[in-house]
Amino acid sequence: MQVGPISRRRFLSTSAKAGAALAMGGAVTTFLEACSATPNASSAAASASGTVAVEIDEGQNANPFQWFNPNMKAKFGATTNIIGLPFVGQYEKIVAEMVTRSSVYDVLVFPPQMLGDFVSNGFLAPLSELGNESDFNLTDVLPAYRDPNLRRNGKLYAAMYDGDILQIAYRTDIFSAAGISQPPQTWDDFLNIAKELHKPPTQYGNAFLAQRGFCYAWFMNIFAALGGKWFTADMKPAINTDQGVQALQMLVNLKQYAPPNILQIGYQELNEAYLNGSTAMVVQWDDLALKAEDPSQSKVVGKNAYAPCPVRNYMPYSRVMAVSAFSKNQQNAYKVIQYMDSADVSIKYVYDPKCGEDPFRQSHLDASKVKDHLGNPSMPAAQAQSYVGAIKTCLTTGYPELSIPGAPRYLDILDLFVNEALAGSLTPSQALTQAANEWDSITASLGQDNQVKAYSDWVNAFHAAGVTY
Amino acid sequence: MMATRRRPSRWSGGRRFALLTVAPATIILIVLSVFPLLYSLRLSFTDQQLLSLVPPRFVGLANYAQLLQDNLFWSSLGVAAAFALSVVTVQLGVGLALALALYRLPRYQQFIATLLLIPSILSSSVASFQWRSLFDYSSGPLNYFLGLLHLPLLSWTADPRLALPSLLLVDFWQWTPFVTLLLLAGLHALPASVFEAARVDGSSSWQILRYQTLPLLRRVIAITVILRLIGAFKVFDIIYVLTAGGPGSATESLAFYNYVQGFRYFSVGYSAAMSYVSVIIVIVLARVILRYMERPVGRPAADVPVAEAAV
Repeated sequence: MQVGPISRRRFLSTSAKAGAALAMGGAVTTFLEACSATPNASSAAASASGTVAVEIDEGQNANPFQWFNPNMKAKFGATTNIIGLPFVGQYEKIVAEMVTRSSVYDVLVFPPQMLGDFVSNGFLAPLSELGNESDFNLTDVLPAYRDPNLRRNGKLYAAMYDGDILQIAYRTDIFSAAGISQPPQTWDDFLNIAKELHKPPTQYGNAFLAQRGFCYAWFMNIFAALGGKWFTADMKPAINTDQGVQALQMLVNLKQYAPPNILQIGYQELNEAYLNGSTAMVVQWDDLALKAEDPSQSKVVGKNAYAPCPVRNYMPYSRVMAVSAFSKNQQNAYKVIQYMDSADVSIKYVYDPKCGEDPFRQSHLDASKVKDHLGNPSMPAAQAQSYVGAIKTCLTTGYPELSIPGAPRYLDILDLFVNEALAGSLTPSQALTQAANEWDSITASLGQDNQVKAYSDWVNAFHAAGVTY
Repeated sequence: MMATRRRPSRWSGGRRFALLTVAPATIILIVLSVFPLLYSLRLSFTDQQLLSLVPPRFVGLANYAQLLQDNLFWSSLGVAAAFALSVVTVQLGVGLALALALYRLPRYQQFIATLLLIPSILSSSVASFQWRSLFDYSSGPLNYFLGLLHLPLLSWTADPRLALPSLLLVDFWQWTPFVTLLLLAGLHALPASVFEAARVDGSSSWQILRYQTLPLLRRVIAITVILRLIGAFKVFDIIYVLTAGGPGSATESLAFYNYVQGFRYFSVGYSAAMSYVSVIIVIVLARVILRYMERPVGRPAADVPVAEAAV
């Protein structure tokens, strides 16, 4: 192309403008960098007064952070500002915030099922790079909760806050009156006992969480006992097997001996069904025991015993604490996590009926330590013995919750189809086949090879922790 | 000498002012509506997952093809269609009856109309939380009254056969008053002389309703139907609060399933394709209703009943 004198002038003029624009752009960039540096500087300065934003599912689980705020303030000058998210929907809200690299959260409290996604997408700052792993006294953390829940790619990303496991709570008075001397040892036993003790509308044989959101965990609890696995080594779904169909059929059968609104029963409703005295036995997270022995919450104080679930005990949810990779207050966030995770602080909240946290350290497993954060015994000695004993046994037969990348999605799909079977819209076999098909699509969308490796690493972590899987 | 008239510049005077006035709205529209629309259209041709380590690829119409084979998509479309059809039919029928009744009560009309506004000014989520308490199996007033009448208690939102009707009840409670008010306003806008003439000609109340009121009210009815159809088709809040799509997928509407794909699974490409399908369905339905609305009000003489023709 020929460039005439006028075009040249225009060219020069345009170049000059472009140059000026670039220079301005550079200036703007520098200015923006300076601006973005300002909050860093100010947050560093603020860290002396230090408010650490803690994301957690709202409600009782946030209480320990509030209780220990004055102690943290006195110890290292930081307090926490709780950002409560709804329990159902927590995952999407965290992700929506973190994909924009938002610094709104300093500490994230979430279940380990999300750890795979959060680490692979760079949402978390490794604790091992912010301080020393020895700060967390990891040898005291129960093996099933330790590396599989806290570590990825050799780095420590999280610290425990709540160790969850399912266990049976049952009414000793009702069992005795019916001449039943021991809790169920197999799932067939469980069904028979539920049938025998089912006397509606005053007494229901059993209850479980059947509402959409977490009913998959109650299926997995039975599936685990029958020897089921999540996937094969090459990531083919292993839920649509005979064990899977049998487990789901068992859950559907148990529905007959449950309260009539069983499909409406979520976590709170399940607690209530037991605490109001209308249900003979339930499978629930272990913190139910604390509430069952608390006269302000329960009509059945002193009438309960606690036992492991038949054969295996599923470990749904749990909670870990991690530092956001985008936090501008990472050092204080680290200190908050270290403080809340420490043995002498966590022992004050894991047995407190006013929150939902459960033991996760070896040092927690002592019946004499079942006290609330004010130091008062939170249940009678006999019940405390039964409760802590059940947790110890449960942990030896604990069955891990999936926590590879995409885990929340796999679990949500499983939950949907388990719920379809419970609602009677699909047979157990149809439900699990459809769930398996959806699982295949998830695996394909996340990359088959990536998932095979992540699953293998995860299974190995459990094997290394001594968990049978 | 012939005066040279200066040609008005494109940017002169009133034109410049007009453009400057329109510009902010245009820019906002482009940034907030046109750009997201085009961006989501582009997304719908990719397999983008927000949390995948696999880079997004252009997949053409694959997302749209996948929708055709997705059982959950079809079941959610079925739920949305059933919900929208029931909402429009019931709310229009009851709303019209109430509007006609109110029209004949000029004395109390303003007071009742004000009361009727209350449900529709509440946010749907707030209303849903109130209804959740009402539906509660053990402590809800609905089951309390059933108990008083010695009737079996109902699992309003947990029984697969009752869950969708329960949601319809909430939507009915919230939006029927709004439909009533729209139709009442329409009735007030009709020319009184037509009805007076009909009465003078000896038409019965039913004939006036059938051959005068409804045809004249047709445009208001069409607008009401479109508004409620769009509202019902994208229903989300009450499902999120009351059933979360359950039991199973009994109440998982298209909007809710789209939310699950987009914001729970972060399959943004697939979710964008689903959004476009939803938009196309609503546009086609609205277009059909608008065409009906544009038809002339009169009917061929042959259709007119003998009594009327005689008049």
